[in-house]
Amino acid sequence: MDINVRKRAQVQVVQLRGPLRMGAAVDGLRQTLQEALNNGDTNIVLNLAEVSMIDSSGIGLLVRFLADTKQIGGNVKLVQPNKYAVQTLRLVGVLNLFEVFDSDDAAVESFA
Amino acid sequence: MPPESSSGPENNTLSELLDRSMPADPGAVAAVVDTISETLARLDVPEQKRFEVALAVQEALANAVVHGCGNDPSKQIRCQVKSAPNGRIVIIVTDPGPGFRPDQLPDPKRGENLQADHGRGVYLIRQLMDEVQFGSNGNEVRMWKY
Repeated sequence: MDINVRKRAQVQVVQLRGPLRMGAAVDGLRQTLQEALNNGDTNIVLNLAEVSMIDSSGIGLLVRFLADTKQIGGNVKLVQPNKYAVQTLRLVGVLNLFEVFDSDDAAVESFA
Repeated sequence: MPPESSSGPENNTLSELLDRSMPADPGAVAAVVDTISETLARLDVPEQKRFEVALAVQEALANAVVHGCGNDPSKQIRCQVKSAPNGRIVIIVTDPGPGFRPDQLPDPKRGENLQADHGRGVYLIRQLMDEVQFGSNGNEVRMWKY
């Protein structure tokens, strides 16, 4: 999985490309998100437009970091999850835990 | 859960599409899942169905690695894919572990489980596939897609 991180207006925008599943992909994203939290960056946007699959390991990571960031006043917001990601998150009942946006801009502005 | 005889064809009428063994290594799961997806694509299985099979297999193999084999890469997991004459597909994942009781798993959509970082794999498999059978020892899962 490719993980590209940019900082925009005090928001970490994380662009993901590829399946988010057990192994290197989930480990890599966990490291990226943990580094953000360690640096005090608690406002996070995850662009999922090019994520073809999210498995239960990836869901667990997203849900855990959502809880962790909210506990310290931040948030994890999703951008453009494709129909399969939406289906998966909805199936396990966690889609409604997240705010979902159509663009990085809209997600970043929502933190203002 | 329906008995195996309700699944239509008996085993001797199934055509083998794939039979892979892999080490119980998290990094080995993706290659098997992707190979199955490619195999189904060659058979013109629709994208939606391929996605659902791929994610179910991903979850079954992940469970086998973590729970069946304790992340011990010296242990082997077997994954078979077969098709029936009526187009139904069955994927069989077997691990050497002690098995588990699928009826004793907590509901991941209930209460605080919703926020847990684990415990959704078997639930997803059941939601994505049309019929799921666990072997009597719990170390084999048969997943049917109609």
